[in-house]
Amino acid sequence: MNILETEGLYHDFSGLLVLFDVNLEVKEGERHAIIGPNGAGKTTLFNVITGTYSPSRGRVTFKGKEVTGWKPHNLTRVGMGRSFQITSTFSRLTTFQNIRMGILSKRRIRFNLFRKVDKMQNITEETDDVLKRINLDGERDLPASMLSYGKHRSLEISMALATDPDLVMLDEPTAGMSRDETHHAVELIRRLTEGKTVVIIEHDMDVVFSLADRITVLHLGHILASGPPGEIRESQAVKDAYLGETEV
Amino acid sequence: MRNNLSRWIYWVVGLVILAIYPQVVGIYYTNVFVGFAIFGLYAVTLNLLLGYMGVLSFGHAMFFGAGAYSTALALTHIQGFPLLPALLVGGLAGAMLALILCPLLVRVSGTAFAMLTLAFGQLIFVIALKYREVTGGEDGVGGYPIPSFNIPGVVSIDMTDQINFYYFAVTVIIVCLWLLWFYTKTPFGSLVVGVRDNAMRIDYLGFKLPQTKAVNLIVSGCFAGIAGAIYALFQNLVSTLGVLDIGTSFAPILMAYIGGLGSFFGPIVGSAILHLLEDVTFRITEQIELVNGLVFILVVLFAPMGIVGLLRQAKAKWFHKEKVS
Repeated sequence: MNILETEGLYHDFSGLLVLFDVNLEVKEGERHAIIGPNGAGKTTLFNVITGTYSPSRGRVTFKGKEVTGWKPHNLTRVGMGRSFQITSTFSRLTTFQNIRMGILSKRRIRFNLFRKVDKMQNITEETDDVLKRINLDGERDLPASMLSYGKHRSLEISMALATDPDLVMLDEPTAGMSRDETHHAVELIRRLTEGKTVVIIEHDMDVVFSLADRITVLHLGHILASGPPGEIRESQAVKDAYLGETEV
Repeated sequence: MRNNLSRWIYWVVGLVILAIYPQVVGIYYTNVFVGFAIFGLYAVTLNLLLGYMGVLSFGHAMFFGAGAYSTALALTHIQGFPLLPALLVGGLAGAMLALILCPLLVRVSGTAFAMLTLAFGQLIFVIALKYREVTGGEDGVGGYPIPSFNIPGVVSIDMTDQINFYYFAVTVIIVCLWLLWFYTKTPFGSLVVGVRDNAMRIDYLGFKLPQTKAVNLIVSGCFAGIAGAIYALFQNLVSTLGVLDIGTSFAPILMAYIGGLGSFFGPIVGSAILHLLEDVTFRITEQIELVNGLVFILVVLFAPMGIVGLLRQAKAKWFHKEKVS
Protein backbone atom coordinates (compact mmCIF):
# COMPACT_ATOMS: atom_id res chain seq x y z
CA MET A 1 0.00 0.00 0.00
CA ASN A 2 1.18 3.51 -0.70
CA ILE A 3 1.46 5.66 2.40
CA LEU A 4 2.24 8.78 0.38
CA GLU A 5 1.27 9.68 -3.16
CA THR A 6 1.47 12.81 -5.23
CA GLU A 7 -0.53 13.09 -8.40
CA GLY A 8 0.34 15.62 -11.09
CA LEU A 9 2.00 17.96 -8.63
CA TYR A 10 2.99 21.37 -10.02
CA HIS A 11 4.58 24.23 -8.16
CA ASP A 12 5.79 27.56 -9.42
CA PHE A 13 7.37 30.57 -7.78
CA SER A 14 5.70 33.54 -9.52
CA GLY A 15 5.89 31.92 -12.92
CA LEU A 16 9.09 29.95 -12.46
CA LEU A 17 8.02 26.33 -12.71
CA VAL A 18 9.91 24.34 -10.09
CA LEU A 19 7.85 21.15 -9.97
CA PHE A 20 6.33 19.76 -13.11
CA ASP A 21 3.86 16.88 -13.10
CA VAL A 22 5.44 15.01 -10.19
CA ASN A 23 3.87 11.62 -9.51
CA LEU A 24 5.60 10.17 -6.49
CA GLU A 25 4.60 6.91 -4.84
CA VAL A 26 6.00 5.88 -1.49
CA LYS A 27 5.13 2.40 -0.22
CA GLU A 28 4.48 1.80 3.43
CA GLY A 29 7.60 0.67 5.28
CA GLU A 30 10.13 1.43 2.57
CA ARG A 31 13.12 3.74 2.64
CA HIS A 32 12.70 5.96 -0.35
CA ALA A 33 15.52 8.23 -1.48
CA ILE A 34 15.01 11.27 -3.65
CA ILE A 35 18.11 12.29 -5.54
CA GLY A 36 18.80 14.82 -8.23
CA PRO A 37 21.18 17.63 -9.13
CA ASN A 38 21.08 20.97 -7.33
CA GLY A 39 17.99 22.93 -8.23
CA ALA A 40 16.07 19.83 -9.27
CA GLY A 41 13.25 20.78 -6.90
CA LYS A 42 13.81 18.20 -4.17
CA THR A 43 13.39 20.55 -1.22
CA THR A 44 10.45 22.27 -2.92
CA LEU A 45 8.82 18.88 -3.33
CA PHE A 46 9.34 18.33 0.40
CA ASN A 47 7.94 21.76 1.19
CA VAL A 48 4.83 21.13 -0.88
CA ILE A 49 4.24 17.71 0.67
CA THR A 50 4.82 18.82 4.27
CA GLY A 51 2.72 21.97 4.05
CA THR A 52 5.21 24.83 3.82
CA TYR A 53 3.60 25.69 0.47
CA SER A 54 0.39 24.69 -1.20
CA PRO A 55 1.00 23.19 -4.65
CA SER A 56 -0.13 25.22 -7.67
CA ARG A 57 -1.82 22.10 -9.02
CA GLY A 58 -2.14 18.45 -8.15
CA ARG A 59 -2.92 16.30 -5.16
CA VAL A 60 -1.04 14.95 -2.18
CA THR A 61 -2.45 11.83 -0.55
CA PHE A 62 -1.22 10.60 2.83
CA LYS A 63 -2.48 7.30 4.28
CA GLY A 64 -5.25 7.29 1.73
CA LYS A 65 -6.50 10.72 2.70
CA GLU A 66 -6.12 13.83 0.58
CA VAL A 67 -3.94 16.33 2.44
CA THR A 68 -3.19 18.82 -0.31
CA GLY A 69 -2.44 22.22 1.20
CA TRP A 70 -2.69 21.06 4.82
CA LYS A 71 -0.70 23.04 7.35
CA PRO A 72 2.39 21.46 8.90
CA HIS A 73 0.87 21.04 12.38
CA ASN A 74 -2.09 19.12 10.96
CA LEU A 75 0.19 16.84 8.96
CA THR A 76 2.30 16.22 12.05
CA ARG A 77 -0.82 15.27 13.96
CA VAL A 78 -1.76 12.60 11.42
CA GLY A 79 1.74 11.12 11.52
CA MET A 80 4.14 12.94 9.21
CA GLY A 81 7.49 14.12 10.56
CA ARG A 82 10.11 16.25 8.89
CA SER A 83 13.70 17.34 9.40
CA PHE A 84 15.37 20.24 7.67
CA GLN A 85 18.37 20.68 5.43
CA ILE A 86 19.39 23.78 7.34
CA THR A 87 19.43 22.81 11.00
CA SER A 88 16.32 24.19 12.63
CA THR A 89 16.31 23.49 16.35
CA PHE A 90 15.39 25.65 19.34
CA SER A 91 18.88 27.07 19.62
CA ARG A 92 18.65 28.62 23.08
CA LEU A 93 16.87 25.66 24.65
CA THR A 94 18.81 22.66 25.93
CA THR A 95 19.04 19.39 24.04
CA PHE A 96 16.65 17.94 26.58
CA GLN A 97 14.09 20.71 26.08
CA ASN A 98 14.34 20.36 22.31
CA ILE A 99 13.45 16.69 22.39
CA ARG A 100 10.85 17.26 25.10
CA MET A 101 8.97 19.58 22.76
CA GLY A 102 8.51 16.64 20.41
CA ILE A 103 7.48 14.31 23.23
CA LEU A 104 4.88 16.84 24.46
CA SER A 105 3.46 16.97 20.95
CA LYS A 106 3.38 13.18 20.70
CA ARG A 107 1.51 12.99 24.03
CA ARG A 108 -0.82 15.73 22.77
CA ILE A 109 0.01 18.01 25.69
CA ARG A 110 -0.53 21.47 24.30
CA PHE A 111 -2.59 23.90 26.31
CA ASN A 112 -1.81 22.45 29.71
CA LEU A 113 -1.59 25.30 32.20
CA PHE A 114 -2.03 23.43 35.45
CA ARG A 115 1.14 21.44 35.94
CA LYS A 116 4.81 22.21 35.83
CA VAL A 117 6.38 20.55 32.86
CA ASP A 118 9.47 19.68 34.90
CA LYS A 119 7.30 17.70 37.29
CA MET A 120 5.81 15.51 34.58
CA GLN A 121 7.80 12.40 35.39
CA ASN A 122 6.69 10.34 32.40
CA ILE A 123 7.61 13.11 29.96
CA THR A 124 11.04 13.55 31.55
CA GLU A 125 11.69 9.80 31.50
CA GLU A 126 10.65 9.40 27.90
CA THR A 127 12.79 12.36 26.85
CA ASP A 128 15.81 10.97 28.68
CA ASP A 129 15.20 7.63 26.98
CA VAL A 130 15.29 9.27 23.58
CA LEU A 131 18.46 11.19 24.50
CA LYS A 132 20.14 7.93 25.48
CA ARG A 133 19.12 6.26 22.24
CA ILE A 134 20.58 9.08 20.17
CA ASN A 135 23.73 9.31 22.31
CA LEU A 136 23.08 12.87 23.38
CA ASP A 137 22.55 12.14 27.08
CA GLY A 138 25.99 13.63 27.77
CA GLU A 139 24.84 16.92 26.26
CA ARG A 140 21.47 16.87 28.01
CA ASP A 141 21.67 20.34 29.54
CA LEU A 142 23.70 22.07 26.86
CA PRO A 143 21.93 24.66 24.70
CA ALA A 144 21.39 23.28 21.20
CA SER A 145 23.54 26.05 19.73
CA MET A 146 26.55 24.78 21.71
CA LEU A 147 26.45 21.28 20.22
CA SER A 148 29.06 20.17 17.71
CA TYR A 149 27.85 20.21 14.13
CA GLY A 150 27.39 16.46 13.93
CA LYS A 151 25.49 16.27 17.20
CA HIS A 152 23.35 19.24 16.26
CA ARG A 153 22.40 17.41 13.08
CA SER A 154 21.56 14.29 15.09
CA LEU A 155 19.31 16.43 17.26
CA GLU A 156 17.65 17.85 14.15
CA ILE A 157 16.88 14.37 12.84
CA SER A 158 15.76 13.13 16.24
CA MET A 159 13.30 16.00 16.70
CA ALA A 160 11.53 14.90 13.54
CA LEU A 161 11.30 11.42 15.04
CA ALA A 162 10.35 12.46 18.57
CA THR A 163 6.69 12.89 17.63
CA ASP A 164 6.71 9.22 16.59
CA PRO A 165 5.57 9.72 13.00
CA ASP A 166 4.67 6.92 10.59
CA LEU A 167 6.31 8.73 7.71
CA VAL A 168 9.58 10.61 8.20
CA MET A 169 10.78 13.10 5.63
CA LEU A 170 14.51 13.77 6.03
CA ASP A 171 15.91 16.64 4.00
CA GLU A 172 19.63 15.95 3.52
CA PRO A 173 20.24 14.61 7.01
CA THR A 174 23.99 14.28 6.44
CA ALA A 175 24.51 17.69 4.83
CA GLY A 176 27.91 19.08 5.74
CA MET A 177 28.94 16.11 7.88
CA SER A 178 32.38 14.54 7.89
CA ARG A 179 32.81 10.89 6.74
CA ASP A 180 32.72 9.73 10.31
CA GLU A 181 29.71 11.78 11.27
CA THR A 182 27.87 10.63 8.15
CA HIS A 183 28.52 7.03 9.09
CA HIS A 184 27.11 7.62 12.57
CA ALA A 185 24.12 9.52 11.21
CA VAL A 186 23.25 6.71 8.81
CA GLU A 187 23.42 4.21 11.65
CA LEU A 188 21.22 6.50 13.73
CA ILE A 189 18.66 6.85 10.98
CA ARG A 190 18.65 3.11 10.36
CA ARG A 191 18.14 2.43 14.06
CA LEU A 192 15.49 5.08 14.77
CA THR A 193 13.38 4.52 11.68
CA GLU A 194 12.95 0.79 12.21
CA GLY A 195 9.46 -0.06 10.98
CA LYS A 196 8.75 3.46 9.72
CA THR A 197 8.47 4.78 6.21
CA VAL A 198 11.33 7.13 5.33
CA VAL A 199 11.65 9.58 2.49
CA ILE A 200 15.13 11.00 2.34
CA ILE A 201 16.77 13.61 0.17
CA GLU A 202 20.45 12.86 -0.09
CA HIS A 203 23.46 13.86 -2.14
CA ASP A 204 25.87 11.30 -0.77
CA MET A 205 25.54 8.32 -3.12
CA ASP A 206 27.08 5.92 -0.62
CA VAL A 207 24.35 6.83 1.83
CA VAL A 208 21.65 6.55 -0.80
CA PHE A 209 22.68 3.13 -2.05
CA SER A 210 23.28 1.72 1.42
CA LEU A 211 20.04 3.02 2.91
CA ALA A 212 17.37 3.16 0.24
CA ASP A 213 14.99 0.44 -0.91
CA ARG A 214 13.82 2.59 -3.74
CA ILE A 215 15.18 5.67 -5.44
CA THR A 216 13.42 8.45 -7.29
CA VAL A 217 15.48 10.74 -9.48
CA LEU A 218 14.24 14.28 -9.81
CA HIS A 219 15.61 16.38 -12.65
CA LEU A 220 14.48 19.90 -13.56
CA GLY A 221 11.34 19.50 -11.49
CA HIS A 222 10.29 16.25 -13.10
CA ILE A 223 10.67 12.61 -12.12
CA LEU A 224 13.24 11.06 -14.41
CA ALA A 225 13.19 7.55 -13.03
CA SER A 226 11.97 5.63 -10.02
CA GLY A 227 12.92 2.15 -8.96
CA PRO A 228 15.18 -0.09 -6.91
CA PRO A 229 18.83 1.00 -6.50
CA GLY A 230 20.16 -1.53 -9.03
CA GLU A 231 17.84 -0.31 -11.73
CA ILE A 232 18.66 3.35 -11.10
CA ARG A 233 22.39 2.63 -11.17
CA GLU A 234 22.01 1.09 -14.63
CA SER A 235 19.65 3.70 -16.07
CA GLN A 236 21.27 5.64 -18.91
CA ALA A 237 18.99 8.64 -18.49
CA VAL A 238 19.95 8.96 -14.85
CA LYS A 239 23.63 8.62 -15.64
CA ASP A 240 23.37 11.39 -18.19
CA ALA A 241 21.48 13.71 -15.89
CA TYR A 242 23.21 13.15 -12.65
CA LEU A 243 25.46 10.27 -11.81
CA GLY A 244 27.72 10.87 -14.77
CA GLU A 245 28.65 14.30 -13.49
CA THR A 246 30.13 12.97 -10.30
CA GLU A 247 32.61 10.83 -12.22
CA VAL A 248 34.14 13.77 -14.02
CA MET B 1 14.82 18.41 51.24
CA ARG B 2 17.40 21.01 52.16
CA ASN B 3 16.53 22.89 49.02
CA ASN B 4 12.90 22.91 50.08
CA LEU B 5 13.81 24.19 53.51
CA SER B 6 15.94 27.04 52.21
CA ARG B 7 13.16 27.98 49.85
CA TRP B 8 10.74 28.20 52.75
CA ILE B 9 13.23 30.33 54.67
CA TYR B 10 13.55 32.72 51.71
CA TRP B 11 9.78 33.02 51.49
CA VAL B 12 9.33 33.65 55.20
CA VAL B 13 12.15 36.19 55.38
CA GLY B 14 10.84 37.94 52.28
CA LEU B 15 7.31 38.13 53.61
CA VAL B 16 8.46 39.38 57.01
CA ILE B 17 10.48 42.14 55.35
CA LEU B 18 7.45 43.10 53.25
CA ALA B 19 5.25 43.07 56.36
CA ILE B 20 7.41 45.37 58.47
CA TYR B 21 8.58 47.53 55.55
CA PRO B 22 5.95 50.32 55.87
CA GLN B 23 6.57 50.59 59.64
CA VAL B 24 10.28 51.05 59.05
CA VAL B 25 10.45 53.45 56.11
CA GLY B 26 7.40 55.61 56.57
CA ILE B 27 4.56 56.52 54.25
CA TYR B 28 6.53 58.12 51.44
CA TYR B 29 8.66 55.08 50.67
CA THR B 30 5.69 52.82 51.21
CA ASN B 31 4.01 54.54 48.29
CA VAL B 32 7.20 54.41 46.24
CA PHE B 33 7.21 50.68 46.86
CA VAL B 34 3.60 50.26 45.68
CA GLY B 35 4.47 52.15 42.50
CA PHE B 36 7.51 49.95 41.99
CA ALA B 37 5.48 46.77 42.57
CA ILE B 38 2.74 47.80 40.13
CA PHE B 39 5.28 48.54 37.43
CA GLY B 40 7.18 45.37 38.32
CA LEU B 41 4.08 43.29 37.54
CA TYR B 42 3.39 45.36 34.44
CA ALA B 43 6.97 44.92 33.19
CA VAL B 44 6.76 41.16 33.78
CA THR B 45 3.70 40.98 31.52
CA LEU B 46 5.66 42.82 28.83
CA ASN B 47 8.50 40.35 29.27
CA LEU B 48 6.05 37.50 28.60
CA LEU B 49 5.97 38.91 25.08
CA LEU B 50 9.51 40.25 24.77
CA GLY B 51 11.64 37.76 26.66
CA TYR B 52 9.49 34.65 26.37
CA MET B 53 7.79 34.93 23.00
CA GLY B 54 10.34 37.17 21.30
CA VAL B 55 8.11 40.02 20.14
CA LEU B 56 8.54 43.65 21.14
CA SER B 57 5.37 45.52 22.05
CA PHE B 58 5.63 49.29 21.68
CA GLY B 59 2.04 49.78 22.78
CA HIS B 60 1.83 47.77 25.96
CA ALA B 61 0.29 50.76 27.74
CA MET B 62 -2.99 50.04 25.94
CA PHE B 63 -3.49 46.93 28.11
CA PHE B 64 -2.39 48.76 31.25
CA GLY B 65 -4.60 51.72 30.34
CA ALA B 66 -7.59 49.56 29.43
CA GLY B 67 -7.39 47.98 32.88
CA ALA B 68 -6.94 51.30 34.66
CA TYR B 69 -9.77 53.05 32.80
CA SER B 70 -12.19 50.13 33.17
CA THR B 71 -11.64 49.96 36.90
CA ALA B 72 -11.92 53.73 37.27
CA LEU B 73 -15.09 53.90 35.17
CA ALA B 74 -16.69 50.95 36.96
CA LEU B 75 -16.01 52.61 40.31
CA THR B 76 -17.28 55.97 39.08
CA HIS B 77 -20.53 54.77 37.56
CA ILE B 78 -21.55 51.78 39.64
CA GLN B 79 -22.42 52.59 43.20
CA GLY B 80 -20.83 50.34 45.80
CA PHE B 81 -18.73 48.39 43.28
CA PRO B 82 -16.63 46.02 45.41
CA LEU B 83 -12.84 45.88 45.48
CA LEU B 84 -11.94 42.49 44.04
CA PRO B 85 -14.38 42.70 41.12
CA ALA B 86 -12.83 46.10 40.39
CA LEU B 87 -9.51 44.34 39.90
CA LEU B 88 -11.11 41.62 37.79
CA VAL B 89 -12.77 44.22 35.57
CA GLY B 90 -9.33 45.63 34.84
CA GLY B 91 -7.90 42.20 34.02
CA LEU B 92 -10.90 41.38 31.88
CA ALA B 93 -10.56 44.63 29.95
CA GLY B 94 -6.89 43.94 29.22
CA ALA B 95 -7.70 40.39 28.14
CA MET B 96 -10.59 41.52 25.95
CA LEU B 97 -8.45 44.11 24.21
CA ALA B 98 -5.78 41.46 23.56
CA LEU B 99 -8.45 39.07 22.29
CA ILE B 100 -9.77 41.69 19.88
CA LEU B 101 -6.32 42.53 18.55
CA CYS B 102 -4.85 39.03 18.45
CA PRO B 103 -6.23 38.01 15.03
CA LEU B 104 -3.92 40.69 13.63
CA LEU B 105 -1.07 40.48 16.10
CA VAL B 106 -0.50 36.72 15.87
CA ARG B 107 0.12 36.95 12.15
CA VAL B 108 3.14 39.18 12.46
CA SER B 109 6.40 39.23 14.34
CA GLY B 110 9.54 41.34 14.52
CA THR B 111 9.28 44.92 13.31
CA ALA B 112 5.72 44.50 12.05
CA PHE B 113 4.57 43.44 15.51
CA ALA B 114 6.31 46.43 17.10
CA MET B 115 4.76 48.83 14.58
CA LEU B 116 1.26 47.35 14.88
CA THR B 117 1.29 47.53 18.67
CA LEU B 118 2.65 51.07 18.45
CA ALA B 119 -0.17 52.03 16.09
CA PHE B 120 -2.91 50.47 18.23
CA GLY B 121 -1.41 51.93 21.39
CA GLN B 122 -1.44 55.40 19.90
CA LEU B 123 -4.90 54.90 18.46
CA ILE B 124 -6.30 54.02 21.86
CA PHE B 125 -4.41 56.93 23.41
CA VAL B 126 -6.06 59.34 20.97
CA ILE B 127 -9.50 57.79 21.41
CA ALA B 128 -9.20 58.19 25.19
CA LEU B 129 -8.07 61.78 24.67
CA LYS B 130 -10.92 62.73 22.34
CA TYR B 131 -13.83 60.74 23.71
CA ARG B 132 -14.27 63.22 26.55
CA GLU B 133 -17.83 62.23 27.55
CA VAL B 134 -16.55 58.90 28.82
CA THR B 135 -12.88 59.33 29.54
CA GLY B 136 -12.73 62.92 30.63
CA GLY B 137 -10.11 63.72 28.00
CA GLU B 138 -6.88 65.14 29.38
CA ASP B 139 -8.34 65.54 32.84
CA GLY B 140 -9.08 61.85 33.02
CA VAL B 141 -11.30 60.07 35.49
CA GLY B 142 -10.69 60.76 39.13
CA GLY B 143 -12.15 61.11 42.58
CA TYR B 144 -14.07 57.85 42.41
CA PRO B 145 -14.70 56.06 45.71
CA ILE B 146 -12.14 53.43 46.64
CA PRO B 147 -14.07 50.47 48.05
CA SER B 148 -13.03 48.77 51.27
CA PHE B 149 -11.85 45.20 51.39
CA ASN B 150 -14.98 43.51 52.60
CA ILE B 151 -15.73 40.02 53.74
CA PRO B 152 -19.30 40.40 55.02
CA GLY B 153 -19.58 39.71 58.71
CA VAL B 154 -15.86 39.04 59.10
CA VAL B 155 -13.77 42.02 58.23
CA SER B 156 -13.87 45.38 56.49
CA ILE B 157 -10.59 47.10 55.78
CA ASP B 158 -10.45 50.72 54.67
CA MET B 159 -8.42 50.94 51.46
CA THR B 160 -8.06 54.71 51.50
CA ASP B 161 -5.59 54.13 54.29
CA GLN B 162 -2.26 54.00 52.50
CA ILE B 163 -0.72 51.38 54.76
CA ASN B 164 -3.70 49.09 54.32
CA PHE B 165 -3.56 49.61 50.60
CA TYR B 166 0.11 48.72 50.60
CA TYR B 167 -0.65 45.31 52.11
CA PHE B 168 -3.52 44.75 49.72
CA ALA B 169 -1.58 45.76 46.59
CA VAL B 170 1.52 43.79 47.53
CA THR B 171 -0.57 40.69 48.24
CA VAL B 172 -2.39 40.91 44.93
CA ILE B 173 0.85 41.53 43.04
CA ILE B 174 2.65 38.61 44.69
CA VAL B 175 -0.26 36.31 43.83
CA CYS B 176 -0.25 37.56 40.23
CA LEU B 177 3.52 37.16 39.93
CA TRP B 178 3.31 33.65 41.33
CA LEU B 179 0.58 32.75 38.84
CA LEU B 180 2.63 34.15 35.96
CA TRP B 181 5.77 32.40 37.16
CA PHE B 182 3.87 29.13 37.31
CA TYR B 183 2.48 29.84 33.86
CA THR B 184 5.98 30.08 32.40
CA LYS B 185 6.80 26.68 33.92
CA THR B 186 3.86 24.81 32.40
CA PRO B 187 4.14 22.81 29.18
CA PHE B 188 2.39 25.70 27.49
CA GLY B 189 4.99 28.11 28.84
CA SER B 190 7.74 25.99 27.31
CA LEU B 191 5.84 26.13 24.03
CA VAL B 192 5.88 29.94 24.12
CA VAL B 193 9.66 29.89 24.51
CA GLY B 194 9.79 27.54 21.54
CA VAL B 195 7.88 30.10 19.48
CA ARG B 196 10.58 32.64 20.33
CA ASP B 197 13.42 30.36 19.26
CA ASN B 198 11.90 28.80 16.16
CA ALA B 199 8.26 29.42 15.30
CA MET B 200 8.41 27.28 12.16
CA ARG B 201 9.59 24.25 14.09
CA ILE B 202 6.74 24.65 16.57
CA ASP B 203 4.37 24.35 13.62
CA TYR B 204 6.25 21.31 12.28
CA LEU B 205 6.09 19.64 15.68
CA GLY B 206 2.32 19.71 15.56
CA PHE B 207 1.46 22.79 17.62
CA LYS B 208 -0.89 25.49 16.39
CA LEU B 209 1.22 28.59 16.14
CA PRO B 210 -1.43 31.38 15.99
CA GLN B 211 -3.42 29.94 18.89
CA THR B 212 -0.29 29.58 21.02
CA LYS B 213 0.67 33.19 20.39
CA ALA B 214 -2.89 34.35 21.00
CA VAL B 215 -3.17 32.69 24.41
CA ASN B 216 0.13 34.22 25.51
CA LEU B 217 -0.99 37.65 24.29
CA ILE B 218 -4.24 37.36 26.22
CA VAL B 219 -2.48 36.26 29.41
CA SER B 220 -0.07 39.16 29.06
CA GLY B 221 -2.89 41.61 28.36
CA CYS B 222 -4.97 40.33 31.26
CA PHE B 223 -2.25 40.75 33.89
CA ALA B 224 -1.18 44.10 32.45
CA GLY B 225 -4.84 45.08 32.91
CA ILE B 226 -4.75 43.96 36.54
CA ALA B 227 -1.60 46.05 37.06
CA GLY B 228 -3.52 48.98 35.56
CA ALA B 229 -6.45 48.31 37.87
CA ILE B 230 -4.21 48.39 40.94
CA TYR B 231 -2.73 51.62 39.61
CA ALA B 232 -6.23 53.10 39.31
CA LEU B 233 -7.02 52.16 42.91
CA PHE B 234 -3.65 53.46 44.06
CA GLN B 235 -3.76 56.86 42.35
CA ASN B 236 -7.51 57.48 42.45
CA LEU B 237 -6.94 59.27 39.14
CA VAL B 238 -6.61 57.80 35.66
CA SER B 239 -5.66 60.09 32.80
CA THR B 240 -4.25 59.52 29.36
CA LEU B 241 -0.85 60.91 30.24
CA GLY B 242 -0.42 58.57 33.17
CA VAL B 243 -1.60 55.25 31.78
CA LEU B 244 -1.87 55.35 27.98
CA ASP B 245 0.90 57.58 26.68
CA ILE B 246 3.99 56.36 24.92
CA GLY B 247 6.04 56.82 28.07
CA THR B 248 3.90 54.22 29.83
CA SER B 249 4.59 51.88 26.91
CA PHE B 250 8.32 52.45 27.02
CA ALA B 251 8.77 52.23 30.79
CA PRO B 252 8.34 48.43 30.99
CA ILE B 253 10.64 47.97 27.98
CA LEU B 254 13.36 49.89 29.81
CA MET B 255 12.68 47.91 32.99
CA ALA B 256 12.80 44.58 31.18
CA TYR B 257 16.04 45.43 29.39
CA ILE B 258 17.75 46.90 32.44
CA GLY B 259 16.68 44.07 34.71
CA GLY B 260 17.30 41.34 32.17
CA LEU B 261 15.12 39.74 29.52
CA GLY B 262 16.42 36.27 30.14
CA SER B 263 14.91 35.94 33.59
CA PHE B 264 11.40 36.01 34.97
CA PHE B 265 12.37 38.35 37.81
CA GLY B 266 14.59 40.61 35.70
CA PRO B 267 11.87 43.17 34.92
CA ILE B 268 11.04 43.46 38.63
CA VAL B 269 14.69 44.26 39.35
CA GLY B 270 14.55 46.75 36.47
CA SER B 271 11.46 48.37 37.97
CA ALA B 272 13.20 48.65 41.34
CA ILE B 273 16.29 50.24 39.80
CA LEU B 274 14.32 52.78 37.78
CA HIS B 275 12.13 53.74 40.74
CA LEU B 276 15.11 54.21 43.02
CA LEU B 277 16.89 56.13 40.31
CA GLU B 278 13.88 58.36 39.81
CA ASP B 279 13.70 59.08 43.51
CA VAL B 280 17.36 60.06 43.66
CA THR B 281 17.33 61.98 40.39
CA PHE B 282 14.32 64.05 41.38
CA ARG B 283 16.31 65.60 44.22
CA ILE B 284 18.86 66.96 41.77
CA THR B 285 17.10 67.55 38.48
CA GLU B 286 13.83 66.94 36.70
CA GLN B 287 15.50 65.39 33.67
CA ILE B 288 14.59 61.82 34.59
CA GLU B 289 14.33 60.65 30.99
CA LEU B 290 17.89 61.76 30.39
CA VAL B 291 19.18 59.66 33.27
CA ASN B 292 16.99 56.68 32.35
CA GLY B 293 18.22 56.86 28.79
CA LEU B 294 21.85 56.96 29.89
CA VAL B 295 21.35 53.95 32.13
CA PHE B 296 19.61 52.12 29.29
CA ILE B 297 22.51 52.82 26.92
CA LEU B 298 25.05 51.68 29.51
CA VAL B 299 23.14 48.46 30.14
CA VAL B 300 22.79 47.69 26.42
CA LEU B 301 26.50 48.37 25.89
CA PHE B 302 27.98 46.63 28.88
CA ALA B 303 25.37 44.19 30.20
CA PRO B 304 23.15 43.14 27.31
CA MET B 305 21.61 40.43 29.47
CA GLY B 306 20.64 43.06 32.05
CA ILE B 307 21.49 43.31 35.71
CA VAL B 308 20.23 39.81 36.47
CA GLY B 309 22.37 38.47 33.63
CA LEU B 310 25.35 40.31 35.09
CA LEU B 311 24.74 38.80 38.51
CA ARG B 312 24.39 35.33 37.03
CA GLN B 313 27.65 35.76 35.19
CA ALA B 314 29.38 36.94 38.32
CA LYS B 315 27.97 34.00 40.24
CA ALA B 316 29.08 31.51 37.60
CA LYS B 317 32.57 33.02 37.60
CA TRP B 318 32.80 33.00 41.36
CA PHE B 319 31.66 29.40 41.73
CA HIS B 320 33.92 28.38 38.92
CA LYS B 321 36.93 29.94 40.67
CA GLU B 322 35.99 28.20 43.86
CA LYS B 323 35.90 24.86 42.10
CA VAL B 324 39.29 25.43 40.48
CA SER B 325 41.00 26.40 43.71
